[in-house]
Amino acid sequence: MLERMVVFTNNPMVRDALSQRDGCKVHYAPVSYRQILCLARDAVHQGHKLLTHPLSGSVKPGETPYKSVAVSQEKGLLDLPSLSLIENSIVTCDKFPIRSKSKDPSLQEDFQLVDLSLIMSIF
Amino acid sequence: MSKLRVVHYINQFFAQIGGEEMADYKPEYREGIVGPGLALQTAFGEEAEIVGTVICGDSYFNENLEKATAEVLEMIKAAKPDLFIAGPAFNAGRYGVACGTITDAVKKELGIPALTGMYVENPGADMFKSSVYIISTKNSAAGMRDAAPKMAKLGLKLAKGEKVGASCEDGYIPNGIRVNLFEKERGSKRAVKMLLAKINGKPFTTEYPMPDFDRVPPCPAVKDIAHAKIALVTSGGIVPKGNPDHIESSNATHYGKYDIEGVDDLTSDTYATAHGGYDPVYANEDADRVLPVDVMREFEKEGKIGSLYRYFYTTVGNGTAVKSAKAFAAEFSKELVADGVQAVILTST
Amino acid sequence: MKLELGYIHIHDIQLAAASKVENGVLYVDAEAVKKLVLEDEQIASVEVEVAHPGESVRITPVKDVIEPRVKVEGPGGMFPGVISKVDTVGSGKTHVLKGAAVVTTGKIVGFQEGIIDMSGVGAQYTPFSKTNNLVLVVQPVEGLKQHDHEHAVRMAGLKTAVYLGELARSLTPDETETFETLPLKESMDKYPELPRVGYVQMLQSQGLLHDTYVYGVDAKRIIPTVIYPTEVMDGAIISGNCVSACDKNPTYVHQNNPIVHDLFAQHGKTINFAAMVITNENVYLADKERSSNWSSKLCEFLGLDAVIISEEGFGNPDTDLIMNCRKITEKGIKTVIVTDEYAGRDGSSQSLADAHSSADALVTGGNANQVITLPKMDKVIGTEDYVGIIAGGWDQNKHEDGTIDVEIQAITGATSEVGFNYLSAR
Repeated sequence: MLERMVVFTNNPMVRDALSQRDGCKVHYAPVSYRQILCLARDAVHQGHKLLTHPLSGSVKPGETPYKSVAVSQEKGLLDLPSLSLIENSIVTCDKFPIRSKSKDPSLQEDFQLVDLSLIMSIF
Repeated sequence: MSKLRVVHYINQFFAQIGGEEMADYKPEYREGIVGPGLALQTAFGEEAEIVGTVICGDSYFNENLEKATAEVLEMIKAAKPDLFIAGPAFNAGRYGVACGTITDAVKKELGIPALTGMYVENPGADMFKSSVYIISTKNSAAGMRDAAPKMAKLGLKLAKGEKVGASCEDGYIPNGIRVNLFEKERGSKRAVKMLLAKINGKPFTTEYPMPDFDRVPPCPAVKDIAHAKIALVTSGGIVPKGNPDHIESSNATHYGKYDIEGVDDLTSDTYATAHGGYDPVYANEDADRVLPVDVMREFEKEGKIGSLYRYFYTTVGNGTAVKSAKAFAAEFSKELVADGVQAVILTST
Repeated sequence: MKLELGYIHIHDIQLAAASKVENGVLYVDAEAVKKLVLEDEQIASVEVEVAHPGESVRITPVKDVIEPRVKVEGPGGMFPGVISKVDTVGSGKTHVLKGAAVVTTGKIVGFQEGIIDMSGVGAQYTPFSKTNNLVLVVQPVEGLKQHDHEHAVRMAGLKTAVYLGELARSLTPDETETFETLPLKESMDKYPELPRVGYVQMLQSQGLLHDTYVYGVDAKRIIPTVIYPTEVMDGAIISGNCVSACDKNPTYVHQNNPIVHDLFAQHGKTINFAAMVITNENVYLADKERSSNWSSKLCEFLGLDAVIISEEGFGNPDTDLIMNCRKITEKGIKTVIVTDEYAGRDGSSQSLADAHSSADALVTGGNANQVITLPKMDKVIGTEDYVGIIAGGWDQNKHEDGTIDVEIQAITGATSEVGFNYLSAR
């Protein structure tokens, strides 16, 4: 069973696919991969639990510009495993250099599709 | 091709000048090979020649670190070597620190390829393994025969500017830089072998040591906080303005102890941070943000705590060796206990 | 369950008028292969090429590598649940065209990857420079969606491998090898003195281009389960994983899982290789908890003394790897884990995204960020257009003299996390 979730995403395809889905709120922000991780971290600081792995996918940070991370809608005490995972993920993200191909217009749809597929894999 | 010129560094003991009683021996340069240099020369064969040896007493070096380093560097520089080798120091602690210090200085300040050797548990190994190549040796001088060919081989590679292999190939203490190599057996077979060793309680070496987990079990809760004497300790670098004890902004080698009797608030006129590596603006504006003296004084007045200890201890966490930090704490913890402090609030940046 | 593998050694592949195997040469009728592949209406065209070890040939972007095999005795057929019916495979006899491989290539997404160089520096890093490769360059019909495209290329490779495998059906093997795993109780009775060892294989299961199938079931939908290691030799596990060339397991590697083979090599001598457990690497965190709970519970239930755990991928799967390692260790079972590293080009970054003190015995496939310069090749099968885009390549990586700088993560099988390769790091 899936928890009710908020999905932080910078991927318009994910925004469109999930906006009508039951139990799912989409927080869309056209920001960087890293900034999506930071939004998820801020939510964890406020007591939301991480529901998906922030480093999902084998396309590494810096290679794809897109990232979608789900956290619980429910808010409780700070969830330490979530905090440790999101913080570690940001540290890991920072070790990968940004590659200019990640911005190549001809690749955006493919990057979006793979990111969409990663988040859709949980349903 | 002419032979590569090598300068070798050894201590008073290996120069056969004497033991501890001669540890104050001042730096001296001798032409040619002295003591263990012979084994190195044999290993070099025709490719390199030890042109000179610097000898220095371990106490002299460690007690006059800056001066001794400068003196030794001058001697090395004058000999115009293509390669510098210190030790090996095996398990001799002060010798290890001297070898590490001077190798690091030769590499950084003279730009000359340099390496040393020591036992993995030598304190110098931990201090310098990430800055210079340290050949892993046995824990006593009996390991010289083993160490000399490895030191010579890696030394020649460094002097010729050749690519250095992985730590297990070139025999140096792992320095945190991951280097690829082709093994003779595929990964699955290595995994099966490692598992067999683990099952049979035999030694095995993991190919990637997990980062160090130095977990400290928490102390039991303070029973009566309203009457407890509480101290503030920080690695956030808060010091009286002007940093009177010159605590380094990174890789701190010491800590400070400061009296806060009568101080109710740390202000931008009186306190600042010595810490590098983070934006100091907010700490300098109001040092209470790192070292909360103001709040502790309020709690003291309100009776929430017994009292705030008269002194605070401070150092800089930025890049400071865990070993140094442990040594600082081991020292001042004794004072805290002696003065009846029951709890400490530790703050970082 | 007992399986005999009969190896027919192949030292050459040639295109010919009729498909057959003769004197160690695999002759392939390219037209027949094309006809087979084009049965799928989603495929517009296919080229059939051959690449031999030592040639100045580069294959890229590689999607999958598959070994041609055929079941000659015992239930079921190759790739059950996908090509053949879902019968339980893994017993009887299977013939293998050892030394031959089917390689599929085709652009599914623009950042796809996978380089196999048949000679030069790059060849040292990929196990598939040593096989004789029949390469399918697959072009989809216009407008085919990525999911369908991936499926079409996957099936083209499997069908071709089955077609070639059939050629070995009536041949006499040059060499045979037998593998047997006994049911739990018999195995305990037969080897009471030997430590009971298991293998926990983690399967990539995150979504499009990150999938693995077990008897045709998407691995993200499984809960960890027990499988006979010989089932895997008959193609029970296939790869739909096309991202991260260096550490993904192509179907060929599942068929020839080296941990399975090297554990069998010790079976009955120093260990009792008692069981194989498969688990997944899902994106949803609760799935990770559940799967690692189950894998550790199964290891306990099977009475294992020690296990090898292998990973597939980086980042998300590191969390599964550490969870599996920690929970299995907590059951009092000794563990060795197999992974690879992303330590940065200079090797100075933290290698894994997760860590735990229980992971004290680790075998690594090396640092995937290491940069090497690949020479210019006389012939490129597929296209080099994507080399600058794939994970291992980066901006301006192609030089005027035709050489290319890549991180070895672009090279198929370079840092195999089931230990199929010889690369390591310290």
